[in-house]
Amino acid sequence: MVNQPNTPLAQTARLLDLVPFLLAHQGISISELAKHFKVENEVIIDDLNTLWMCGLPGYTPLELIDLAFDSGYVTIRNAAPLAYVRTMSSSEVVSLALGLDLLRESSLNLDNDQIARIDRLSAQLRAQIGSHISITAGAQTSNRSIIASSISKRLPVEMTYYSTASDQETRRIVTAYDFFQESDVEYFRAFCHTAESMRTFRVDRIVTAVLVHESKEVVNDQNPKNERIRVGATVRSLDRTSAEAFRLAYEDLEVGASVVLEAFSSEWLVRAIMAGAGSLAVEEPAEIRQLVRRSVDSAIALYE
Amino acid sequence: MSRKSERLVNLTIALLATKRYLTKSEIFRTIEGYEGTPDAMERMFERDKDDLRSLGIVIELGTFDPLFEDEAGYRISPSSYQLNLGELDGSDVALLSIAASAWTGAALERESTSALVKLASMGVDSDEDALSLLAPRVGGTNTSFAAITEAVIRRAEIEFKYLGKDLTQQNRRIAPYSMRGQNGSWYLVGNDLDKQEMRTFRLDRIVSEVKVSKKSNSFQIPEQIPNQDADEVKEFALLRIRKNRGHQLRSVAVVLRSDDEWEELSLPILDDSWLLRSILWHLDDVEVVEPSSLRERVLYSLKELRVLHG
Repeated sequence: MVNQPNTPLAQTARLLDLVPFLLAHQGISISELAKHFKVENEVIIDDLNTLWMCGLPGYTPLELIDLAFDSGYVTIRNAAPLAYVRTMSSSEVVSLALGLDLLRESSLNLDNDQIARIDRLSAQLRAQIGSHISITAGAQTSNRSIIASSISKRLPVEMTYYSTASDQETRRIVTAYDFFQESDVEYFRAFCHTAESMRTFRVDRIVTAVLVHESKEVVNDQNPKNERIRVGATVRSLDRTSAEAFRLAYEDLEVGASVVLEAFSSEWLVRAIMAGAGSLAVEEPAEIRQLVRRSVDSAIALYE
Repeated sequence: MSRKSERLVNLTIALLATKRYLTKSEIFRTIEGYEGTPDAMERMFERDKDDLRSLGIVIELGTFDPLFEDEAGYRISPSSYQLNLGELDGSDVALLSIAASAWTGAALERESTSALVKLASMGVDSDEDALSLLAPRVGGTNTSFAAITEAVIRRAEIEFKYLGKDLTQQNRRIAPYSMRGQNGSWYLVGNDLDKQEMRTFRLDRIVSEVKVSKKSNSFQIPEQIPNQDADEVKEFALLRIRKNRGHQLRSVAVVLRSDDEWEELSLPILDDSWLLRSILWHLDDVEVVEPSSLRERVLYSLKELRVLHG
């Protein structure tokens, strides 16, 4: 597996791929070239300097690859033996096949011709790697693409959003700003026209979403409600789901350890503590401890 | 600049350009970079062949004249070296390019970058209109992703440490059958070699490096991968849920009867600990009616929570 750009093997792979790429892009700038290969300019310059020494046995100017790049723009000649585009590795094929799966699942804007093409290309790639690696994405990806449209077109989205904290589905109209990722969960920031303020939403909690084709005014909001609450707690038993809910590092956990829990809302935090069934005990602040106690009492009242 | 990559490129050029098999002595005599004692050159050449093979380059060994006891020679056949994706037009290339760009920031970013470079080297202009499609994004991958996909393709056994429900780290030896992405997480399905049972693993719960066995084709993937989640449901739970509440539980339940405030629902018990959690999560909006064992477990947990927060 080639992961570091500077190992001899990674460089060799890049050199072999540089030649056909340059033949198809004569006169490309060094920085543009670096962007395509996702490496620093210096790495590409080093590559070109190495490639310049390569050629057929004999290694006289007649046999060497002829490169010119002093001007910052690259041209290549006399590179016939390496002109072939190299065959793809199975990991490269996997990356394309899975990307096509996602595209097929997620984009509502595909026309029938594109869908037919995706199916044909996908079958062709799967012939090389088998069908055992796939994405069945469900509704999440199509909702994501609607939010992406909201961001790029500055149009509002009417969505039903499920809040686990309040255990309620609400209808809202939002204009999305950007996506961000935190511990493998994808969120987006949006102006919520219903609440008239900035809010943060989880992509996977969208139940339905429809793009509204008429833009709405976004009011400047100075007070985004994103403040976190922090709570001190004790670990009472080791439990994977509680650790994952609060993103606690499992290595640090042992029975009796003190931990800090973070949450965006006290409602969510109380529910997560309850669901932990006694694996975590809130120590402070007293108000949150009280909140947990009251929830416990009202739930027990159902049974007693 | 690296002497080694220079030698590997020169070796590739020579083996690709030759019409006949090049013998080892011809390679050592003519290709730049082979120097030192015969033994040293020999070792160098063996490593170089392995390296080129790891890049997916097929080196043929053969001789043109089987009647002569010739020294065998080497070459790379252009047809095996060359990318062959069939006839592609601009729209195809555009779709494949969007597919590759889904890996920005994810596990196969390097692989998808080189795939993109190869697509762009084919000399087919990509159809700009199609490129306005929004690129999807692969999420939830981590460092084990590339190793496991490689193992699935090669049918190689893998070994890793997995985080159990009680946060203990368990050693697992698995014959990996498939890798599936669903709702933002990745799942590995495979045969647990110690338990001899089909198991599903969530990628983000793998807590060690994934060791992939060098040996390929060490198992067969069954046509139909048995679905261990499709076990027969043995038991149903009867819950009272307040109207318009308890959405997580409702998605798998059927309403039996209702009054003004409450509804009675039946749902299959598939996963005990998930069910207990979900009931507790819903505070005083959900009450267990049956089975009594579940009712007791919920009450026990609530009493535990009361002691801890007394």
